[in-house]
Amino acid sequence: MKISVDYARCEGHGLCADQAPDAFSLDDDAELTYHFEGLEVPDEHQAAAGAAVNACPVAALRALS
Amino acid sequence: MPMRTAIPVYHPDLYSASAIRDTYPHYAALRELGPVVWLSKHKVYALPRYAECKQVLLDDETFVSSDGVALNPVANRVGQGTTLFSDGDDHARRRSLLAHRLTPRALRTMKDTVDKQAAAVAEAAVARRTVDAVEVAMALPLSVVPDLVGWPRQGREHLLRWAGATFDAMGPLNRQAVRTLPASLGMLRYARAVVRDRSVLDGSMGHDLLRAADDGRIMPAECATMMIDYLAPSLDTTISAISSALHLFAAHPEQWCMLKADPDLVPKAVNEVVRYESPIRAFSRAAAHDTELAGVPLPKGSRVLVLYGSANRDPLEWDAPDTFDIRRDAARQLGFGQGTHGCAGQGLARLETSALLSALVERVDRIEVAGPPEWALNNVIHRLERLPLELIPA
Repeated sequence: MKISVDYARCEGHGLCADQAPDAFSLDDDAELTYHFEGLEVPDEHQAAAGAAVNACPVAALRALS
Repeated sequence: MPMRTAIPVYHPDLYSASAIRDTYPHYAALRELGPVVWLSKHKVYALPRYAECKQVLLDDETFVSSDGVALNPVANRVGQGTTLFSDGDDHARRRSLLAHRLTPRALRTMKDTVDKQAAAVAEAAVARRTVDAVEVAMALPLSVVPDLVGWPRQGREHLLRWAGATFDAMGPLNRQAVRTLPASLGMLRYARAVVRDRSVLDGSMGHDLLRAADDGRIMPAECATMMIDYLAPSLDTTISAISSALHLFAAHPEQWCMLKADPDLVPKAVNEVVRYESPIRAFSRAAAHDTELAGVPLPKGSRVLVLYGSANRDPLEWDAPDTFDIRRDAARQLGFGQGTHGCAGQGLARLETSALLSALVERVDRIEVAGPPEWALNNVIHRLERLPLELIPA
């Protein structure tokens, strides 16, 4: 699964970090950061990242495939 | 010969007083009928299941808001110029002017104040012991929101009635909407006067709006509607969530025990409360072009009704949807909407509701229902009007 983050739309609600704490977190400025290289979600984070996409309140975090 | 898809039809009035007070059987019947159901009374396609509600909310290019999200043409015209009733760049511009004040990052600076206010509310409630849950639920939003929006102190006594009326006006043009129309226009008139007299509080969101108008970033006429845009939805909705939480924890003492044992469950509990008793019943969208939803053809201009409260009880999406369980992962619930128009104030709503639950969990051993609950009559807001409770101190 590949993800995309629309930073203009992300408001830092942080539900993704609650769902997938090993994949996503909010930094001190409440900006979304993700803990893997590129946009391809590593296998071990797939399920949690899917739940994070599903929970994003403003659909800033999306699954591309 | 092409098959004509038969769209199931539902005749009962979803907005009758009895259906407003007891909605869930209607939702269950609608979900049973299909993913898209024609409401003959209101001439609109109801979406009772989670998947289609979500699809519509996430596809804001096909299912637009600029023709209004209410169920009647009057409100859909009067509401023009609001963030709620706009799309695309217009929406993004309006939302960005205010939403940055409501992000969890911006709210961090308010957290201590809200926690203190929540502690005071909880302490006063425990001291009284027998309380109306709705009064307890009102205290925090009413002390936080009007200041944030910057509403002048004078005239605040009308806010709650006006805000409720604004929601009533967004249902069908039934007796309920007509009865409350003067109050919702009263709010618009008052907001225009506040903008004209520049009587908003310094440093507030309303103040930001006036400055944006001064700089030419918005039209002066937009100021009043945008103030209402952010004030009206921030009172009844949070009051609904807090009072429903108290009701649910009174009815499910084992869940209150669980929360007391592990207060870290508070954020999950808030999601579960908003899933289980979604404060907003429904908003609509209009199809911008001919389209299809769950195989049902929808011609351009068709109005669909996103039933948040029904989507959040859909057994196709949730295990045992009618069971209240704070351990459930309910983060994907649609009670705040989702996508472009997802509730801009949900960070604040979560902050207030969590603060009050945390304050009560420390001080209350158990919550007991002390009288029959009464549900408020409102076309759009689903909330208790009155609920006598006894708070047994810890």
